[in-house]
Amino acid sequence: MGDKKHWQSFGERTNSDSFKELSEKEFREELPVEGLDSKGLLDLKSPRRDFLKYLGFSTAAAALAASCEIPVKKVIPYLNKPENLIPGVADYYATTYVSSGDVVSILAKVRDGRPIKIEGNESSTITKGGTSAKVQASVLDLYDTARLRYPVQMVNAAPQQVTTFEAFDKLVADALGTLGGAPIVLLTSTITSPTTKQIIGEFLAKNSGSRHVQYDVDSSSGILLANEASYGKKAIPSYQFDNAKIIVSLGADFLGTWLSPVEFARQYSKGRKIDEKNPEMSMHYQFESMLSTTGGNADERFVHRPSETGAVALALLAELGGSVTAPALGDKLKFGIKEAAKDLLANKGKGLVVSGSNDVNVQIIVNAINELIGANGTTINWSAPLQTRQGIDSDFETLVADLNAGKVGALFVYGVNPAYTYYAADKFKAGLQKTKVSVSFNDRIDETTELCRYAIPAPHFLESWGDAEPKAGYFSFLQPTIAPLFLTRAFEDSLLKWSGNSTSYEDYFRKYWTSKLGGVDGYEKALQEGVVEPSSPSTSGAPYNGGKLAGAASAVSSKKAGSGIELVLYQKISVGTGNQANNPWLHEFPDPITKATWDNYAIVSPDYAKKTWGLDLANRRQADKYEVYPDKRVVVIKAGGKELKLPVLIFPGIHNDVIAIAVGYGRQSTAADKTADYIGRAVVGVGKNAFPFAMFNGTTVDWFVPEVNIEQTNETYSLAQTQTHSSYEGRTEVVKEVTLEDFKKSPNEILEDREKELKPYGGVDNFEKEGTLYPYYDKPGIHWGMSIDLNSCIGCGACAIACHAENNVPVVGKSEVLRYHDMHWMRIDRYFSGDPEDADSIQTVFMPMLCQHCDNAPCENVCPVSATNHSSEGLNQMAYNRCIGTKYCANNCPYKVRRFNWADYNGADSFPNNQVFTGVGKLDDSVIMMNDDLARMVLNPDVTVRARGVMEKCSFCVQRLQEGKLKAKKEDRPLKDLQDVRTACQQACPTEAIVFGNVNDGSSLIRKTREGNSQRLFYALEELHVMPNVSYLAKVRNTEKLSESINES
Amino acid sequence: MALSKYESQVRAPLVDGDKDYHQITEDIVRPIETDPSKLWWIGFIISIGLLCFGVYSIYREIVYGIGQWNINHTIGWGWDITNFVWWIGIGHAGTLISAILLLFRQGWRTGVNRAAEAMTIFAVICAGQFPIWHMGRVWMGFFVLPYPNTRGVLWPNFNSALLWDVFAISTYFTVSLLFWYCGLLPDLATIRDRAKLKWRKFFYGVASFGWSGSTKHWQRHEALSLVLAGLSTPLVLSVHTIVSFDFATSVIPGWHTTIFPPYFVAGAVFSGFAMVQSLLVITRKVLKLEAYITIEHIDVMNKIIVLTGSIVGCAYLTELFIAWYGQNKFEGWAFMQNRVNLFSPLGWSYYIMMGCNVISPQLFWSRKLRRNITFTFFMSVIVNIGMWFERFVIIVTSVYRDYLPSSWSTYYSPSLYELGFYLGTFGLFFTCYFLFSKFFPVIALAEIKHILKKSGENYKEKMGEAEKETVEEFAHEMAHAH
Repeated sequence: MGDKKHWQSFGERTNSDSFKELSEKEFREELPVEGLDSKGLLDLKSPRRDFLKYLGFSTAAAALAASCEIPVKKVIPYLNKPENLIPGVADYYATTYVSSGDVVSILAKVRDGRPIKIEGNESSTITKGGTSAKVQASVLDLYDTARLRYPVQMVNAAPQQVTTFEAFDKLVADALGTLGGAPIVLLTSTITSPTTKQIIGEFLAKNSGSRHVQYDVDSSSGILLANEASYGKKAIPSYQFDNAKIIVSLGADFLGTWLSPVEFARQYSKGRKIDEKNPEMSMHYQFESMLSTTGGNADERFVHRPSETGAVALALLAELGGSVTAPALGDKLKFGIKEAAKDLLANKGKGLVVSGSNDVNVQIIVNAINELIGANGTTINWSAPLQTRQGIDSDFETLVADLNAGKVGALFVYGVNPAYTYYAADKFKAGLQKTKVSVSFNDRIDETTELCRYAIPAPHFLESWGDAEPKAGYFSFLQPTIAPLFLTRAFEDSLLKWSGNSTSYEDYFRKYWTSKLGGVDGYEKALQEGVVEPSSPSTSGAPYNGGKLAGAASAVSSKKAGSGIELVLYQKISVGTGNQANNPWLHEFPDPITKATWDNYAIVSPDYAKKTWGLDLANRRQADKYEVYPDKRVVVIKAGGKELKLPVLIFPGIHNDVIAIAVGYGRQSTAADKTADYIGRAVVGVGKNAFPFAMFNGTTVDWFVPEVNIEQTNETYSLAQTQTHSSYEGRTEVVKEVTLEDFKKSPNEILEDREKELKPYGGVDNFEKEGTLYPYYDKPGIHWGMSIDLNSCIGCGACAIACHAENNVPVVGKSEVLRYHDMHWMRIDRYFSGDPEDADSIQTVFMPMLCQHCDNAPCENVCPVSATNHSSEGLNQMAYNRCIGTKYCANNCPYKVRRFNWADYNGADSFPNNQVFTGVGKLDDSVIMMNDDLARMVLNPDVTVRARGVMEKCSFCVQRLQEGKLKAKKEDRPLKDLQDVRTACQQACPTEAIVFGNVNDGSSLIRKTREGNSQRLFYALEELHVMPNVSYLAKVRNTEKLSESINES
Repeated sequence: MALSKYESQVRAPLVDGDKDYHQITEDIVRPIETDPSKLWWIGFIISIGLLCFGVYSIYREIVYGIGQWNINHTIGWGWDITNFVWWIGIGHAGTLISAILLLFRQGWRTGVNRAAEAMTIFAVICAGQFPIWHMGRVWMGFFVLPYPNTRGVLWPNFNSALLWDVFAISTYFTVSLLFWYCGLLPDLATIRDRAKLKWRKFFYGVASFGWSGSTKHWQRHEALSLVLAGLSTPLVLSVHTIVSFDFATSVIPGWHTTIFPPYFVAGAVFSGFAMVQSLLVITRKVLKLEAYITIEHIDVMNKIIVLTGSIVGCAYLTELFIAWYGQNKFEGWAFMQNRVNLFSPLGWSYYIMMGCNVISPQLFWSRKLRRNITFTFFMSVIVNIGMWFERFVIIVTSVYRDYLPSSWSTYYSPSLYELGFYLGTFGLFFTCYFLFSKFFPVIALAEIKHILKKSGENYKEKMGEAEKETVEEFAHEMAHAH
């Protein structure tokens, strides 16, 4: 067979010349082609086969050249696919949020190698998957454009790159070599990491005379020292708000910023959930000077001057039967104290009194109170002390003195920024400059780093190995979720290196935990879970010693109460002490109480406004005029030789003689024009620094000033608030609240009200069908629904930031918030009721508001192009590509939850260079910053980045629902809520106020929640027959009566 | 039997000044055949200037986004849609005059119908700018058209009142344009026939579609005019009814009101006549057409203004009554707090509306004031300000404080470019109107000649003899005259 030859023609067989010639040509005949010569067809200038190529190319080129400028997109494909990584499928790594002592166990959602979202870690019994606004926003800090990208040494106040770590090590070693035995001081924030502590210990051991100083900006030295006096332990116990029936907070913002708010919020909410069969809830008294987020949740609230903090504690102790004399206080306060004491005594062992004061004496009195009410060992748990605040203020005072005296050879600064946060920053700065060697490990050239000789940035926690021990025995682990973006090195690595240990921190950490956890398996399991906790948590007390009480009582009662206007400093839930200051998500997050963004300001009472400016907020005409213009009065606040010019916001709920200012604002480099480069573009011009007003009282730092002067100016300043009207005007169709007593008496009141309202249209049960002329359609399959419990919601806003991160909600900057162009899909409406001039009467309600996904949505039928339409699963969905931006839907939305892309906030439209312009609508630099390639890494690839000119709004995280449905489908089983689907807001909520799921599934949590709470269930604006898919559970107040709406007409 | 059997003793002649046919042609065509006056140039340049600013304002809005305006997530429609409804309303007078009055055989309409129709067309063009450029993605605006496409069954949403607007306004514009142009044909032919310049002959020759004045042409012209008048008449009612549906079919308190359709139509006629007055008072003066647009015209139109103004006033009061009687908390708030409360942030706008639209037109019950030209001009401006505020009140004060107090807006005032857009449409309108008055006869030449015979000494003088004859005699004479 092999030799057999087939031929088609004789020419082929004989292989004649003419055949050869023919076979070289493709066609038999001569072709009418130019320049053919004698060469083959394929050698032509433009051979036939290339014709289509040329045609295609030229058409495409012409089209390209003629069309708009197309931005160059960078796509970097994997050359080799990494193992265990499926593009498009997210991985979750258990790690830990660690920032200035705060510790929250989290899961980092990593998509294609980059962390894009933070979720709470449900394995942690401390937070149970809860998070806070700061935690949610911290993923953006990883992609902060202002991070220091390599080690530097400061030469003539300018950073100069040090190219390698070796070179840096040598520089530092040389510098340390010149110290001649002068001590090294490690200045850090509270460190809860056992390995870090051990490494610090080893380092200190190598350098005799050296020491470690922990400095907390929002310090709890008062509690630490008081507990040393009362319990013999310089520690903070665990508080168990879940065990407390009576909670009395003396100015502690425990749901917002105090010690461990995520944990406390979860515990607190346990006592606030209502079981309809047996409606009971905890009783929360709040005594404070200004309205905090926690105060907003209180059942009974009493205001006092900050200088009376001690007196209030003392009076409460006296009322409880303590052997102290009650100081003189106002009648209202006295009444409040009496009521609180009565409840505490009636519920011995089930009460808890906490104080936010940093005064040792006050805390000693509070300890005595807790002893009297039997809290020690029940609601105060000494078996697992809280370690998130360990700094003692006087240690830092000593350090500053030492620095100035030249007693310190080298200062290592890690995670703190006293040049900004210390009340006497100039003293610290002077001392720092006198110090021979100073090394900063901070992540950017902040106010302190700027003054250090050397800086070696530490990686972000999402890039790091590590561990944290928020409570004794409770460990939470850090593992890198991304390779370090920049040339950064962990603080621990540096210390190890500089103490002559060649092990890397990663190895050190692994070795430490492998041996502790009994092998590699235990270690890996711990990393996987993220936490290691005691298997059987116990609650125990500590022996109490009341010896110091008498001294404390006399110290407190000898303190004169102020008479003029007093100043109190506070932290905002978002910005806190300012350590995450270059985070536009946090700045744009409206404060839960004031709803103001992008600024700090002085809060004064309506009474002050009336007396000073004749502005009566109870008068609708004047209130209207005040609220609709964002320009607010500016005053100069003078205290202790310091002054600050700030705009004023008038808010009820603050003591008439108190003015409150948030710290954490006004970050600025020495050379103001360097702020954008060094600290970040988002902090430029944002607020003023109020830290200098803090005062050292001899033992601890107080955050209030008993005597301030307020000078009026003729200036105004625009404050960007996302909500300007504070009263719900008695519109019970929107918000429903009831007192616990009334609820017990007539539990069906709300249901009956609804029934009465809807009776002509079929009543509650048939309203959907009979309230309309249109036919009814069945809703088979999945039908998504959400329930929000107004009683559990504390207004902390973790949901709002989670939504920001999950859904690529753009940052619009202050200038746009001022124009009411904010983009939040999830907002928390805050309403006050009560007499604005009587701070005690103010009741606050927080109402999370998002797209209600109405089944009969008014937005849907008005869209001329059906860009917004209804899914068969009950979602009101947006087809962004179809939207032409008429804004009709937003007008017709009764809830006003639709958000329009007024400008090219995220560079998603095809108009080149239209973000930077002047005149009307000029965008802030923070918006531009968010479009930096680095910042854009935080975008969720599952969610479209919306272009300018389209409408957007909450989608119920449809991308998550799709993912959950697919997961269930692949596993061939029905969808399970919680396990398969959770919206971002629901996941972030520390109090489980949000429940979401398939209402058609009889066993789903949402169904059970709605069925189990039928007495409190309501829909906002139900009578409009828009059929919302978000239901609310009415707020129940454990108080005597509901306050009336402010200026109700 | 005399040819003219009846001459009214009560009615004043519709054309003053003993004009004969030739004089009429001369008077009306003169502005077209002579160079424009200085005044015309000044007005024209100002209009072009405004137009350019408008174009720049829109340019900014297209490139930088709707954020160039001060509307926000609570007030989704502000000046843009206010201006839209205002301009659309103005257009109504032209159609009413040309169509309804034609059907009712109101002879006086011929003096004003051409200018009024032109005004309609320009006003609709101006109105159309707002819904177009208020779109966030105007380049995708064609999505509203029900065109066959390859995306499966992807049609616009026929439930949306905004889509109804698209159809209502495009129909209205088409019919109005046809009607206007159809009336222009014989006049254009007259200009063509008189033209001495080559370009003019060419231009008007093309524009007049070969009109020869034959009886057949006239017959068809008359028939077509009647058909178009018949088509336009329901449009006078339907367009503003549908525009009002934008609001009436919504759920927003203050918008969701069943009275809107008649109330909007009356308001539209009201503002339209005011605009006709403003334009004609100036036009007759500048073009010296006092003999054609007489004080009688002004008087008659002022009567319509007082009538429609009163209808609008009744509607306002009915709305208020229902807001109270309906006991709907939210609607009550929208009316009593957002509007009637003078001291609420935008309450003042309600009182401007009330003052200008309801109270001030009542002065027109006085015959003396109706026939006072300066006063009429002043009032016509006042009425249009009032009607602008009516739309502003309806649109903005309803939505800026609606259901959830948390969303209540900060104070709303327009940005420079929001204002610029509005001014730009004024530029567009007057640029069109100035060009119109230069190149087209502002009075319907052919039509006004119809009514001449009933009025004027000139006619009697020339035709008096003839009219004494019987019809038979006259016919006989005519038949044998060569």
